[in-house]
Amino acid sequence: MDKVTYPKKALDKMQEIVNDCMGDAPPYCEATCPMHTDVKGYVNLIADGKHKEAVNVIREKLFIPRVLGRICAHPCEEQCKREKEFRQPMSIAALKRFAADHYDDEKDWDLKIEPENGKTVAVIGAGPAGAQAALDLRRKGYKVTIYERLPVVGGMMRVGIPEYRLPRHIIDHEYSLLNKIGVEFKMGVEVGKDISFDEIKDKHDAVVIAVGAHKGVVIPIPGHDLDGVLDAVNFLREVSLTRKYDIGKKIAVIGGGNVAIDVARSARRVGAEEVHLVCLESKPEMPAHDWEIEEAEEEGVILHDGFGPEQIIGKDGKVAGFQIKKCTSVFDKDGKFNPQYDENIKETLEVDNVIFAVGQAVDNSFVPEGKLETVRGGRFKADPTTLQTKIEKVFIAGDASGRSVIAIEAMAEGRKAAISVDRYLKGQDMFADRQYEGTYETWLETELKEDVVDLPRIETSKVKPEERIKNFDEVDLGFTEEQAVKEASRCLACECKLCMKECEMLNDYCECPKELFESILKTGEIDPIIPYSCNMCSQCTLVCPKEFEMKDRFMDIRKQMIKANGGKSPIKGHKAIEMHQALGFSKLFNTAKPAKYGYNEADVKEKGRS
Amino acid sequence: MSKKTKRVFVPGCSLPSYNPEAVKKTLEYLQKKLPGTGAILKCCGKPTKALGQLDKFHERYDQFQAEVDKLGADEIIVACQSCFLTMTENSPNQKVISLWELLPKIGLPEESVGIGKNSDIVFAIHDSCPTRNRATIHEGIRWIINELGYKYEEPPHTRETTRCCGFGGMVVPANPDLALRVMKRRTSEMESDYVVAYCAACRESMVKGGKKAVHILDLIFGGPWNSKSEFPGVPGSPIKAWANRYKSKKNINKVLG
Repeated sequence: MDKVTYPKKALDKMQEIVNDCMGDAPPYCEATCPMHTDVKGYVNLIADGKHKEAVNVIREKLFIPRVLGRICAHPCEEQCKREKEFRQPMSIAALKRFAADHYDDEKDWDLKIEPENGKTVAVIGAGPAGAQAALDLRRKGYKVTIYERLPVVGGMMRVGIPEYRLPRHIIDHEYSLLNKIGVEFKMGVEVGKDISFDEIKDKHDAVVIAVGAHKGVVIPIPGHDLDGVLDAVNFLREVSLTRKYDIGKKIAVIGGGNVAIDVARSARRVGAEEVHLVCLESKPEMPAHDWEIEEAEEEGVILHDGFGPEQIIGKDGKVAGFQIKKCTSVFDKDGKFNPQYDENIKETLEVDNVIFAVGQAVDNSFVPEGKLETVRGGRFKADPTTLQTKIEKVFIAGDASGRSVIAIEAMAEGRKAAISVDRYLKGQDMFADRQYEGTYETWLETELKEDVVDLPRIETSKVKPEERIKNFDEVDLGFTEEQAVKEASRCLACECKLCMKECEMLNDYCECPKELFESILKTGEIDPIIPYSCNMCSQCTLVCPKEFEMKDRFMDIRKQMIKANGGKSPIKGHKAIEMHQALGFSKLFNTAKPAKYGYNEADVKEKGRS
Repeated sequence: MSKKTKRVFVPGCSLPSYNPEAVKKTLEYLQKKLPGTGAILKCCGKPTKALGQLDKFHERYDQFQAEVDKLGADEIIVACQSCFLTMTENSPNQKVISLWELLPKIGLPEESVGIGKNSDIVFAIHDSCPTRNRATIHEGIRWIINELGYKYEEPPHTRETTRCCGFGGMVVPANPDLALRVMKRRTSEMESDYVVAYCAACRESMVKGGKKAVHILDLIFGGPWNSKSEFPGVPGSPIKAWANRYKSKKNINKVLG
């Protein structure tokens, strides 16, 4: 057979399939996960009881599965089809925790690295962004050193997220992978004090700044400078490192996010007996997750939702009370933060401390002024695609760039920075093919199958509130195996591939039509057995959400193959068809007879039935 | 009365290769009910087209069309769903009608009506996939089965969602293992051990898929069929099929001779 060429129209039609076939479209959860964990993959393995295999799938993307199984804010769950349809999303994070807690074995950790390439990279900060960047770069053969100001690893996961949500030994255990593959740690070393930023920069081929946002913010309302006014960052850091804080019996926390909840609940554990949580938003609008608010209330935290700060009342230079006022709206018509108050409704809380949990800023003082551009909150300015700064060899990852809010996003930023560093040091294109880093919107569109039932989400069990406020032991007990399997079995395994469920032959040759036609367009070649294995039954088209006529595409290919093969089919077995057709048109087997009139009806009756 | 050939019955290829008696009886019945019916035994060229041999197909179809035109028929009655599509597309001057749409209009032979009412078997209906969008054919088939008195079942994929029998697209000689899998998948979704098809190739596929299968003309001009009946198998060799085809030609010539 000669080389097969296709007319433009045939190629265009194939291109349409390549463009719009959803066969390779990731499920909503996977596309949403900033690290693109194969959620569907591991959840369904758990459903099948293959927990060890599930861990392997998780570890392909995440090196701290037990940590994330506890503290990931799981944006994936918000995009889960069961959330969209029934408000009962898959309990993805808890399933990850189940598999990793019970079936992760450090003996199986992947310690492979590419050959040492002789180049060195400094990472400033051992939080999720820095650790991920360090891990990825080490795996590529770079010599990586992490500089960490604190004596402990984990960054905000360690000194922001309370211990009762994330036991510290888990962080240390999972971070030990970094030591195993040869990442060097310089702990307790503060850049800008113990070593200058310039020195680090000059000593390494590239630098990733991943210092996080560890500077507390205090709103300058009257009384903000009184003794007893605290900020969340310092409070949580101190509690995390010592499990103690010299705090009054009655305190108020201002803020409506998860950090405010963490502060309130931690305060209960270091001795505060009356904790008031004040936030501008009404309860349903609070940025904190519903379950976090619920758990805080269970622990006796008193919620004052829809209130803003008026002043902190002092006595002898110390906090004695907190006056709050009714907030009537938080955002204006343009969606801008512009709280409005009803000055007639005011309350005064008798408290010894007021803790601000209203945001964090980046402490950028370690970089000599003017060397790097900074933006709001002290964050470093970096190119959004590459995270590169105006100093070419310096990159920003995680909260330090203001581009991440949660741990998994910080990790994705760390990975992005690592990709950029690698490309930069190899002199490669910094911008090519980067559209699928971090969260993106999948091109998948699925409809619920008729037999799908609204099965409720299974909740993990928790320690009783009166017990848990006594210490920093973990509150969430996770899933039992039975619960995990049952919960995992709810997964709808979102994918398109409807044609693949209908067609026998496609499954023999491809994962989905897109893959098949992409390869034809790329190589110009296809094994003739493929187009000649289509039954031309249209069953694929019938179920295809895009109504692609695959049979017509295969027919286009057949036609061109005939042309390239001297008018004959390239399939050996088709000689029989060609013979069949020759005979089918031969006089021997043909006849054409006009109607016969005067037909004897008796004949029919006589011969009748046999 | 004019002696014109108003219409032609075209039995196609697979039916004449399968059952020459059914071709004969169908033609006789049409002659009786619709005087002015001629017949053509010739391929429509669909297999040629399916291979992708477009030029050859048009050449061959022209031969077929020439026969229709020579007889002067305005209407083509087909018993094959591929013929139905091919001719609908390529014979714009003729009205193409399926035998399965026609029979409900002209009725069944008197002696066939109710013949299956005491049968102890249920036939799963296998609809042909080329005419999945031709509801009147599906209706006609069910009307015929009801009229005959047989019980039937609809498989999960039926009528417009019917599944391929495995024969389509000339896959059998190209990829026989695959074709057999498609056949088995189709039959595996049918509860009954008995299948009625209205395409002789489909019928053969159902047998290869492990069912006892008849062509609907076997029900009209044969039977009654029950669990004791001997069901037609698959032809042992192509020679048998061509011998049948030759017999069909002779039968046509005899009926219209």
